[in-house]
Amino acid sequence: MDHAHSTTSEAPEGPHVLAVSDRHPRSRTIQVVRPQAQETTYLAATAKGLGITLKHFARNFFLPLKKLSKRNMAGAPVHDRWKNEIETVQYPEEKVVYPERYRGLHRLMLRDDGAVRCVACMCCPTVCPAHCITIVPEEAGDNTIEKRPAIFEIDELRCVVCGLCVEACPCDAIRMDTGEHAKPVEDRANAIETKESMLARGIRSTAVQGGEGPGWHAGAKSDGNH
Amino acid sequence: MSTLYAILDWPGTKWVFLILALVMPLASILTWMERRQSAMMQDRLGPNRANIGPIKLKGILHFVADAVKMIFKEDFIPANVHKGLFALAPILAIAPVFIAFCIIPFGPTVYPHSIGQTLDPHLLATYPGLITSDPQAYKAATELFSDSIRMQIFQIDFGLVFYFAVLTLANYGGTIAGWASYNKWALLGGLRSSSQMMSYEVAMGISLMGAFLVAGSLEPGWITFHGASPEMSGSNPFNWLWLWQPVGLVLFFTAAIAETKRAPFDIPEGEPEIIGYFVEYSGLRWGLFFLAEFIEIVFVAAVVCTVFFGGWQVPFLDADGFRIGGYIDDLSKVSTGGYFAPLPHGLVVALQFMAFGVKVLLLCWFQLMIRWTLPRFRADQLMNLGWKLLLPLALANVMVTALIKLLLMPTS
Repeated sequence: MDHAHSTTSEAPEGPHVLAVSDRHPRSRTIQVVRPQAQETTYLAATAKGLGITLKHFARNFFLPLKKLSKRNMAGAPVHDRWKNEIETVQYPEEKVVYPERYRGLHRLMLRDDGAVRCVACMCCPTVCPAHCITIVPEEAGDNTIEKRPAIFEIDELRCVVCGLCVEACPCDAIRMDTGEHAKPVEDRANAIETKESMLARGIRSTAVQGGEGPGWHAGAKSDGNH
Repeated sequence: MSTLYAILDWPGTKWVFLILALVMPLASILTWMERRQSAMMQDRLGPNRANIGPIKLKGILHFVADAVKMIFKEDFIPANVHKGLFALAPILAIAPVFIAFCIIPFGPTVYPHSIGQTLDPHLLATYPGLITSDPQAYKAATELFSDSIRMQIFQIDFGLVFYFAVLTLANYGGTIAGWASYNKWALLGGLRSSSQMMSYEVAMGISLMGAFLVAGSLEPGWITFHGASPEMSGSNPFNWLWLWQPVGLVLFFTAAIAETKRAPFDIPEGEPEIIGYFVEYSGLRWGLFFLAEFIEIVFVAAVVCTVFFGGWQVPFLDADGFRIGGYIDDLSKVSTGGYFAPLPHGLVVALQFMAFGVKVLLLCWFQLMIRWTLPRFRADQLMNLGWKLLLPLALANVMVTALIKLLLMPTS
């Protein structure tokens, strides 16, 4: 018992034990650490703190702003001797370039002839966890392509920006790589992206149009035979 | 013309001028300055957007936007509040500060007939007592000094005691707001407010006692005009009381910041966490509490400036021009000699007005620096600081000052 007590009293994080009672070993006299005079007067600490804040204030007040490229875009803050330390990006005038894989507003991809690439297979509205995609298919009027969307709408207020629609799309028809985020709107109806607005952001895909052509099945088999 | 000067010298006119020209603009701009300055201290930009068309002025117009927002917000009065006291409390909080401004000398005495020429301080000091034997000089002096506008609304011998008495009433605003709100958190906030005011009122009064002893007066206009010692001109920065009462300055400034109920002494309010006495207030009523706080900042700055930093005095600028190294004339008790550059009275007055504004602005800035540097005190730390540190130190300061005054300084 005594040995155990002596070890606890020697533990660095415990209070310093001055005496242990004989009858009640748990009753101990400990040294109470009181704040020192310089801590309770607060003056030195206040002066030190004022020095730090004054340094920041003077630097940010008198020196000009860093360029945007030196503020947020490079990641780690760049220390520039003759510029201040303000990291604020003034949003509408200045924009941070988002990372390459940032999931932004949707875009609908284009075929080589500029038509919509989507074949209205309904994979994306099926996989969408927020049920924000509405597709109404129509006949494409082309024997090689069965369907195309008559209406393709995404409610950006419901969208959770999970990117599953892009993963689900079998023909690289929908992407979220625009690098833009949903714009503020004054009316909820304006937050709905239509086929036209998403096609306006569209680009041509480099994926082979129509998969690998009619013979892809046989080709895959011959690959397997190798 | 003298009717016009009499109107200008009327306390009401001066009060309106002081409130409209100095206090309200400064308090309004402080609401913006506080956010902008704290942003700069934290490596942010702060509000810089409010504008009227292309006029942006670094966002200084945010106070207009704030006022418009507060006016158009719903003025919600909860059920079960004491309607009369609920409505009265914000006014009780803001009115005493306006009244206390009466004692602040915000500029020198202006003699409108001498605006264009250099003032003769010897003539002024000896008028009308000593020159009555010379009728020609008496007539000239009468023309020059017959009209005067004293830039202090209420000149009384017990000036700073009046300030303590009136500003204590502002505490009722917070306490009554807490009680009338029918909200336990508001009530507790009001109680914290009372206990804090009571603790710091004592230390605040006693910390200024040393300054009274040194200056020999309670009248802020006298303290500003004469400074600490009769051997030096009142415009000499070494004659201002910061040098003679450094301990009193630190103690008074600490207690005065506690009186404004701002961080690090903001336990009556504690807006984000512990909820203060105005939790049930909204819209313009809340705005009045908010504004009262900023006006108190301006007032504390004005008092500290007046008592410790020479008020409207510009360093080395006497009533007749810049003078370095002069001496005090035995007869007229004004400084003469030294290196002297005369200035017209109008220019001297303008410079002294500006000096008061600049000093007050700098002291407001310093209060904002403190507010955004220090974390909030706990209630017990606050009481310890007030009763166990500030009060004994203030008492010791009074004793030491009194002893020095009695033993070392000549009685004049």
